[in-house]
Amino acid sequence: MLNRVNNVGYGDRTPFLNAAASAKLRAEIDRQLDQQVLEWYANVPEAAHLEGKNVDSEYYKRNLIETAYRIRMLRVAEAKALVEIAKRSPEAAQVWANYEQEEMLHDELFLDDLEKVGVSREQFLATEPYLSTKLLTGYFSYLLDHEGPLGVVAYSYLVEYVNVKLEPRKLEALKGSVGEDNIGGQINHSHTDINDDHPGEVWAAVRHLLRNEDDIAAFKRYLREHQTLLAQYFEELYLDTIAKADKQPA
Amino acid sequence: MTMNKLTVLPTETEILLPAGCPLTEVEYETPQRLIPFGCRSGSCGACVIQVLEGFGSLGEPDDDERDFLEDLGRTTGDHRLACQCRLRGDATIRVADDI
Repeated sequence: MLNRVNNVGYGDRTPFLNAAASAKLRAEIDRQLDQQVLEWYANVPEAAHLEGKNVDSEYYKRNLIETAYRIRMLRVAEAKALVEIAKRSPEAAQVWANYEQEEMLHDELFLDDLEKVGVSREQFLATEPYLSTKLLTGYFSYLLDHEGPLGVVAYSYLVEYVNVKLEPRKLEALKGSVGEDNIGGQINHSHTDINDDHPGEVWAAVRHLLRNEDDIAAFKRYLREHQTLLAQYFEELYLDTIAKADKQPA
Repeated sequence: MTMNKLTVLPTETEILLPAGCPLTEVEYETPQRLIPFGCRSGSCGACVIQVLEGFGSLGEPDDDERDFLEDLGRTTGDHRLACQCRLRGDATIRVADDI
């Protein structure tokens, strides 16, 4: 007879996907994300703005502010996710804890870059985050309360995959438009993502959380939903900065 | 997908893993506990292996792993912590059982 203990990752810990099946699914997911990136550039206003030669100063600063707030708020939700992950898979929890350890204080890197372009910490703290940033945080809470941690981990896979793929190009452009001396924090952030293989780390957690075909379908759906929420943020950013400036009388 | 072969002695169990796969996957490929993984973060020393063939197929150990192996008395240069290895080619290993 078993004791009454639950939610500690006991039982059959054999993953639903073996190593080869996991690699095959990851390749399929990456193809989905490549397609999502194409849709992103086609549909999000000024999606490639930071990759261009002329960067709007307000757009750039506000994006750094919201990025730092996103890290600050999501690390709370992601720490809660660790509890839920540990209940399901200690293997995934170990990987997730390590990933969070590496990412936990990266808001500081963005604050450093903000100071380089004249935005003080006091100004940062006085800025109310966008509604889209708050709603993204709220979606994480919804997921943890009502669907489980897989959706939270899916967000990190999306962000890490896209960052490793696209961030070097953006940073090269920013070296010219904003100045290499002013983007050291973002460069360091990107180094961590790439050198520590963050997409691979997050996938290692995902793989242990996938328990059946329904989970795989849910994971693919989460990737699309997160992109939709991030697109809302970039639209809000565009409307509040570039579009607003365009409407100002000359 | 490129698959690499890991042979684990003394049972001579052969396992195929996708290229770049961490050796911790061995635990899920067979019901046998071929490698006694512990912390899986390179700090406990439970999974010391001797690499008989294909040392380079497991990637380069970092300084922390080298130092720890030295602390464990594994100074012959053919040992690794299995949890820190990724399989990038064929390899043959033996679990160190004399600690």
